[in-house]
Amino acid sequence: MSDSRSLLVLFGSQSGNAEALAAKFAKQASGYGLEAEVADMDGFDLTSLSGRKRVLIVCSTWGEGEQPDNAEELWIKASSAPSGLLDGVNFSVLALGDTSYELFCESGKEWDDKFEQLGATRLVARVDCDVDYDQISQEWAENALAAMAAVDGEGVFHEEMVLAIKESMTSGATGASGEDGFTVPEIKSESISAEISIFRYDPSTSTTGKDTWVCALPGHMSILDVLRTIKSTQDGSLTFRDGAVDDPTTAISINGRHVLPGNLRLESSAPLRNGGISISIEPLNGFEVIRDLAVEHWDLESKRESSKPWMSSVTRQGLNTPQGALGSMNPLIASKLHSMMDIHSYPILHASSDATAYSDDYYGPSIISQSWARRNDPRTAPSKKREIEQLLDSPSGIKAETDFSSIRRQGKGSFIHDALLDCKTSTLARDGFTGRHGKHVWWYTFTIKSSGRVNDSVLYRQVLGPIGLFGNLFSGVTSRMVLGFTRTGGNMINDMLALIAPPAGLGKMPRQFNSSIKNHHEVVAIYNEMDGRF
Amino acid sequence: MKYAYHPGNVAHSGSPEVAESMVPLVKSLGIELTYLDGATSCGAGIIRQVNQKLQLTLNARVFAQAESLGLGILTPCASTAGNLSEDLFLLKSNPILLAEINEVLLKTCGLKFTGDTSVNHLLHVIVDEIGLEKIKPMVVNPIDFRVASYYGPNIQQYGFCGDDDIYDPNYMEQLVQTLGGEPVSWDSRTQSVGAPSLLSEEPTVLKQAASVLNDAKSEGAQMIVSACNLSHSVLDIYQGKASQRTGLRTNIPVVHLCEILSFALGHYNTRYAQLRTRVLVIGD
Repeated sequence: MSDSRSLLVLFGSQSGNAEALAAKFAKQASGYGLEAEVADMDGFDLTSLSGRKRVLIVCSTWGEGEQPDNAEELWIKASSAPSGLLDGVNFSVLALGDTSYELFCESGKEWDDKFEQLGATRLVARVDCDVDYDQISQEWAENALAAMAAVDGEGVFHEEMVLAIKESMTSGATGASGEDGFTVPEIKSESISAEISIFRYDPSTSTTGKDTWVCALPGHMSILDVLRTIKSTQDGSLTFRDGAVDDPTTAISINGRHVLPGNLRLESSAPLRNGGISISIEPLNGFEVIRDLAVEHWDLESKRESSKPWMSSVTRQGLNTPQGALGSMNPLIASKLHSMMDIHSYPILHASSDATAYSDDYYGPSIISQSWARRNDPRTAPSKKREIEQLLDSPSGIKAETDFSSIRRQGKGSFIHDALLDCKTSTLARDGFTGRHGKHVWWYTFTIKSSGRVNDSVLYRQVLGPIGLFGNLFSGVTSRMVLGFTRTGGNMINDMLALIAPPAGLGKMPRQFNSSIKNHHEVVAIYNEMDGRF
Repeated sequence: MKYAYHPGNVAHSGSPEVAESMVPLVKSLGIELTYLDGATSCGAGIIRQVNQKLQLTLNARVFAQAESLGLGILTPCASTAGNLSEDLFLLKSNPILLAEINEVLLKTCGLKFTGDTSVNHLLHVIVDEIGLEKIKPMVVNPIDFRVASYYGPNIQQYGFCGDDDIYDPNYMEQLVQTLGGEPVSWDSRTQSVGAPSLLSEEPTVLKQAASVLNDAKSEGAQMIVSACNLSHSVLDIYQGKASQRTGLRTNIPVVHLCEILSFALGHYNTRYAQLRTRVLVIGD
């Protein structure tokens, strides 16, 4: 591609709308004498922008003003990029959003500001689109493409040419070719070397293993197409769930990342190392494997059924509208509920918890988040809310989640993570810090107030109680704690002394008493100010 | 190279070997640490379960202390790095929340946090800042074992893991190779072992820990090197119990990144000799 007329159309897309628009505008760009290239923000090298003369950005917004999944990583890099990086770049932004959200088109606004901060020149003002974006986005494209076409090979913008370019386009244009008005160009990448390991399970022999293929495939190929190719050319017995690109049941795990394989390109599935990529494809964890990558979803759906997810609504006052009496809801609550329920794959959300695979009873984040949203829905009847609270407070509810960080790291897990955290806070408050969970959280928080440091000995004693401690004595836990066993720190004789010279606190035995941190009174003051329960 | 030092939650109690080995290690690496004597526990993801703003304020106080020193924070604990990073991200991205927290900070401690600090795990400082090429000539005792590197989920998040990949990290594998070891490829390296719920959900946590330990053994590892103080002690202390509950083979030495680095750079030779013996005794 000749650099003198090149145009980059960069898209950040959650549902595919921005990607489709980017492809459409790239096609239209040829009519303006531009050679357009469409690029996904996912895996895009920020520094490669610095040599560009023309860049269009089409970016959607997810949830409460968040960047779409594929833009998040680039945004983080851009946030720490040095100013001046984009000197000489001419740009314009089309932002997609939904006015029912408080932070409308926030991602596009952020990119617009960021490009300017990094030194780029805005040729056409950003346009913010609501859900009905066809006409407004096309108007933006016509202005933006005309302006980009008026940038010469040296990157100089000739404003006086813009009008002439527009007039020539309107006079001569009869619409792009194609049955539907335009033809979406294919996004193509070079072939890359890939080492693809796939989990195999044969139920007839109950054997598991991995098969590995080393091959060269086009980088733009979706993982689903990779699986289809392997099945049709290499091993017809390979089993996986096939379907549309957004079919939630097709979900699999790639290097521990839970994805819909039709939505992920091979080149974006793993980092490029030593000239190639290496991926390990596994079935989603937390589900029973039927064969190879195909998992059984019935258990999750059965749990969902047992959670009684249906609505029992309360009688509410309606609003008189020209369409008749309609129920209404505070937009902030509506937006929050919408975000909690806007899940593109419940199996992926279920698998995002590392605990679901090891706890048969745990409902998992998929059902818990759905129940929590229902619990916070003002349309839900009070009796139904109490029923949901019983489910959330039960041993199979939110308490069964062992580590929220595993949920946070998967895709859009951050929002669900925060919602589940609220759910746990609510459960603990209702429980009054009883039981092991309540005691654990209460004593942990209390020991920090006491000295600024966690006191493991107090925690063990208060949470496990004498029976639990006795159990640890015979299960080897205490002896390993004393001896350090495979760990190497401290002097072993000190650990032995802990047995005969309590209090413990020597060697690797947790201390009975902590020394306070410097300015400990500040910590006490913070607690007194923020939470009188401790 | 200067940092404000947060040793992690259990370095003063359950994992003293981490705090001990950090002392000679940072000297060898040329890192100057200023101890945050007034730093509280990071909350370990537990305090925020009961009161998120309480944990945010406690950590904002730590950030303000580091900021007043003009330093970024360094910690050898992945759990602490993850929790602090999460709270730092929240405060930096929400000016209204930051103002609210600062109001409490000012009233209770006379402190204010403007957002001018960073949280860094030792691993990322070594690879991104120091550079592995500088570590290689410093190696005195090669770690000539097959090593499974354990990251856990806390630091493997957007913006928390330097330039490493979130789902397919290889910083620790590169480091192990630099130290003379043979990195083992295994799937469980970013899996949680449920450390925040060890005492409250023990049956599930034991299965999680057993699965991670067994995966490392199955892939031929002779030891696990952990980037997390908390997971490190769970994986070691609960090995026997995890095996009893699950029937899986779980016996494998588990050491912290700080320990293995300090051994390789010539510190604690006796301990390293003990570790080598344990690898031989415990190995299949």
